[in-house]
Amino acid sequence: MNTVQKKILSLTAIVLFIMVAIWFILTYYNQKMQDQYNDILQRYLQMNEVSESSQQLVTSLNNYIQAPSPSKLSNVEGDRTRLLDAQLQIADLRNNGNQFTLTNYLNLIDSLVDSTNRSIRLLDEKNNEEALNNFTEATRLSKYISEMTLTLLGTELKTYDQFYRGMINQSVELKKLGVWMLALITFLLLLFTYWFSLSITRPIQRLTQAARELSRGRFDTHIEINANDEISFLAKTFDRMRININNLISEIQTKAQLESELQKNKLLLQESQLRSLQSQINPHFLFNTLDTLSKKAYLEGSLETSDLLTSVARLLRYNLKRLDRPVTLYEEVRVLREYIFIQKTRFTERLHFVEEVDEDCLYVQIPGLTIQPIIENAVIHAIEPLEEGGTITFRVRKEDSDVIVEIEDEGSGMSEDKISQIMEDRFSSQEGDGHSTGIGFGNVINRLKLYYGREDVMAIQSEVGKGTKVILKLPKEREAG
Amino acid sequence: MRKLVIVLLSAICLVLLGFTLSSFIHVFQNYNLSAPANVGSTNKTGYRLILITQELDTPFWDKVESGASKAAAKYGAELEVWGSYGANQEDFLKNMEIAIASKVDGILVQGLNTDEFNQLATVKAAENGIPIFTIANDVPIEDSLRRTYIGSDHYKAGQMIGTQLAEDLGQKGKVVLMVSDRQEDFQSKRLNGILSILKFYPNIEPITVVAGDTREKVVTATNEIMNKEPGVAAFVSVTANNASAMVQEIGKRAQLSRFHIYSFDDSPEIKTLLKEKKMSGIIEQSPEMMGELGVQLMVKWLQGESFPLKYDGYYTDIKLLKADELP
Repeated sequence: MNTVQKKILSLTAIVLFIMVAIWFILTYYNQKMQDQYNDILQRYLQMNEVSESSQQLVTSLNNYIQAPSPSKLSNVEGDRTRLLDAQLQIADLRNNGNQFTLTNYLNLIDSLVDSTNRSIRLLDEKNNEEALNNFTEATRLSKYISEMTLTLLGTELKTYDQFYRGMINQSVELKKLGVWMLALITFLLLLFTYWFSLSITRPIQRLTQAARELSRGRFDTHIEINANDEISFLAKTFDRMRININNLISEIQTKAQLESELQKNKLLLQESQLRSLQSQINPHFLFNTLDTLSKKAYLEGSLETSDLLTSVARLLRYNLKRLDRPVTLYEEVRVLREYIFIQKTRFTERLHFVEEVDEDCLYVQIPGLTIQPIIENAVIHAIEPLEEGGTITFRVRKEDSDVIVEIEDEGSGMSEDKISQIMEDRFSSQEGDGHSTGIGFGNVINRLKLYYGREDVMAIQSEVGKGTKVILKLPKEREAG
Repeated sequence: MRKLVIVLLSAICLVLLGFTLSSFIHVFQNYNLSAPANVGSTNKTGYRLILITQELDTPFWDKVESGASKAAAKYGAELEVWGSYGANQEDFLKNMEIAIASKVDGILVQGLNTDEFNQLATVKAAENGIPIFTIANDVPIEDSLRRTYIGSDHYKAGQMIGTQLAEDLGQKGKVVLMVSDRQEDFQSKRLNGILSILKFYPNIEPITVVAGDTREKVVTATNEIMNKEPGVAAFVSVTANNASAMVQEIGKRAQLSRFHIYSFDDSPEIKTLLKEKKMSGIIEQSPEMMGELGVQLMVKWLQGESFPLKYDGYYTDIKLLKADELP
């Protein structure tokens, strides 16, 4: 990843590299120039050395001739050696410009040395006059050498003239180059640094801007930063945070909306219930009236009417109070018997009700008004439409840990489709229609499922034309939860 | 705005870059810090020859020099011209001595008939085995031991002038022969040449006048002789550089056309005078040929090709230029 640190390091490295490169070039160049200067100076010094040592030789020769002594002779010899050494070095300075003069020069030195030698030899041979002549010649030669040194230096200057001018020009150009290069590098570095710092600070600025917007509560602006360093990572994280917050807020908003709608619905429901209650006749008045009617019928000797009215009153009372809490199976069976009594009065011979109840099982707890609607359903579908009537069998028996309640009729039965529709509560016929208690089959199923927390509480076995069998499987002990 | 700034910045950048690059190229392309090449210690070309004259930078010697340089280039010899100005004998002799001490291979020298010159030539040069050729001016061979002479045949030149004189004067008249006080070999040869002709014309009376080297001395000498001998009919400037001064002085005193004036010199100044018909005739020499022939002979002699040399010398062309014959 291209980090900010890496960026800074690379900038430093580039600057350093440029500096080092320039330094190397200039140093190399200067070194070369220096070498050249040294070479030239060396040439001049060597030529001067010849001139000086030749003069020195003449001086020591003079001393020797004035008063010969071995030490002075060795002086002369030393100077001669020095001159010959210088001559050797000078021989290397030959170039196209000075070739002729240099050869002359070298020969002149030879002549000087010859004259010196001759002078010494003649002096040894006591030929003083000739020795002096040779010494004079040596003196002249030494003078010529000095003059020729000047000539050589002149030639040297002439030969190197172009070269010297070149060097001077070079150094002027070099100075110019230095100024231009400095200007260029300064300018480029300023630009580069500006651009570079921008590449670091601009994402930060934009991030700051985004944070400010966020803090003002605007969560919908997308944060996007095209950088390739940590800042972009930061920006991405920041953007994700913004999206999360946005989502959370919208979730909370929908929840709040839902809740408010629910509340409204509840209020409406309560109101409608209230309305429906208001529209009903006071049930106690109805019971009392029914009681009074029953007594009156009894007193008038119509026993059957009296019983019938009592049953209706009991059914009605049960109906009113038992809906919202569990009852025992015993109570259910009792109300069932009241209901059957009423229906028998209505259908007389057509309704044949068979009851096979294991009395030990009647303690089982069960939601109120669950069995009566099922029976009523059987009456509606298996007795009412048939002229000859039918049989409804009601069984209660034990089976392992459960109590099985079966309601069987001999009616027209129903198809598999219809069964599953009923079981899945998709049978949306006008529920409770025709039911005395206003409670339909679907209602019963749902309440049973909720009460026991099990799906297999009820089963329906039926075939078209062969009757229907509803089986309730009630656990003896109601499971916790 | 932003675009403008960017354009401006890049322009500055480009300008700076351009200047830097051009400067860079200047510095490193012309970068040639190598000194003039040193050659090996061995002598790559042939002989080292030296041409020594007393009259450096005169038209005559310039021509000698150019001829010699041409020949030197042709034969691959190295030639250097040394010399002194205004016939400075001391410097001239010093140059000789240096040349000998420098052990050059050959010396071409304008002869100078003095003891010092002869001593140098006979003793020193011979001692070092350096051949000496005289050029343009000769010295007697028995004094100097010079190998040969390259230049005009001055005796013959004198004869040519003498013949012309006799012709122009019509065998009668006084002739002034202006000579230098320096006893130069070529001067005496020219003089002898003139006299050898004039002796056949007894009526022509030659008057030898010795003048100095300088202009003033020439002017004085001319004045004196014109005072002393009003009937002079012709002047001959035997020595090299006296003619113009002489002509000028004569012109001041009388009509130039009255006189026959001759010179052995062919400097541009003299040639102008000749064209203006202020002079009757001059001897034209071949300085370039002298230089060329001198170097050529020297090289050949050093190579052992032209041996033996003619002791009398090798004469170069001379020609008498007459004013009447000029276009």
